[in-house]
Amino acid sequence: MITFNRSQLIEAEFPDGESVRFRGVQKDHIYNMEISMRVRIADGQILEIEGLMKRYTNPVCPAAVPLLQAAVGLSLREEGWDRRLMREIGRQGCEHFAEIIIECGRCFDQARLSRELLEALQRDPSLNQERFVETWAEEHPEILTA
Amino acid sequence: MTTRFLRNKVVEVEPLSDGSLVVSWRLTDDLLKAEVELKVRPPDLEILSAEAKLERLPFEAWSSAPDLIKKVEGVRVGPGLRKIVRGLLGGPGGCSLLVHAVLEASNAVILHFTRPGIQLGEKLEGEELIAATRAMVANSPRLIRSCVAFQDDSPIMQGLDLSEGRR
Repeated sequence: MITFNRSQLIEAEFPDGESVRFRGVQKDHIYNMEISMRVRIADGQILEIEGLMKRYTNPVCPAAVPLLQAAVGLSLREEGWDRRLMREIGRQGCEHFAEIIIECGRCFDQARLSRELLEALQRDPSLNQERFVETWAEEHPEILTA
Repeated sequence: MTTRFLRNKVVEVEPLSDGSLVVSWRLTDDLLKAEVELKVRPPDLEILSAEAKLERLPFEAWSSAPDLIKKVEGVRVGPGLRKIVRGLLGGPGGCSLLVHAVLEASNAVILHFTRPGIQLGEKLEGEELIAATRAMVANSPRLIRSCVAFQDDSPIMQGLDLSEGRR
């Protein structure tokens, strides 16, 4: 039988053309947490963030919720952004919150590529998707290391 | 408003009758379908086998993933793992997705072992729960300052006697 399962669900919306809103959920046999955050497309800066702890292990854990605000202003484009998030949000607050934020960050370019591919397919259903993705990756090489 | 991108990830740990653990890590999103499977042998948590499969629209740069992941066979889930895995699977010519998959699968192995201890304490409340958590930290000093609950000003840490865990 399965003795440990963790599921993550990350979704991205583009509400205004200038930012992307992520909603991330992480559930496992021990923890259940959610993050909602808005990121500026131009520079990857986290503009807003909220977190919700639904299941945790001790009464001090919820003290990590207000500490999430330390992520506002951090850019998903800066070198080592994921390590900084784990250090400042994870170790000072909650590593499971940090894990969700980091997964949202890894989806930043993927979501942009996905949106542009869908729009291109709507214009031309016969589009070569593999070629589109490769060209996009050549123009945005940061997607390969996210 | 419709969602423009959706990613689902699942990692599962399944103990086998020979005592080893199979960890299945799977990702599916609008662009990618990926599966990584590790077989890990306790007690030293050596990775005995590693398989990877990337489908849908994987980047050409990641086409070597099924061969690349073999590099972690023989690696142990333990201290220094992040650096080792990044060195083996990351960097130019590497595959960042495999780095994440192996580290998340390894974390799931640790949580597989953590879960029973947490379940033992789940009937406790208030001061009893804090005392039990304090005892857990005394037995696992690596937890100190690892999160808000284990910072110096936390009620869990106040009165912590580190010699407790070594008795």
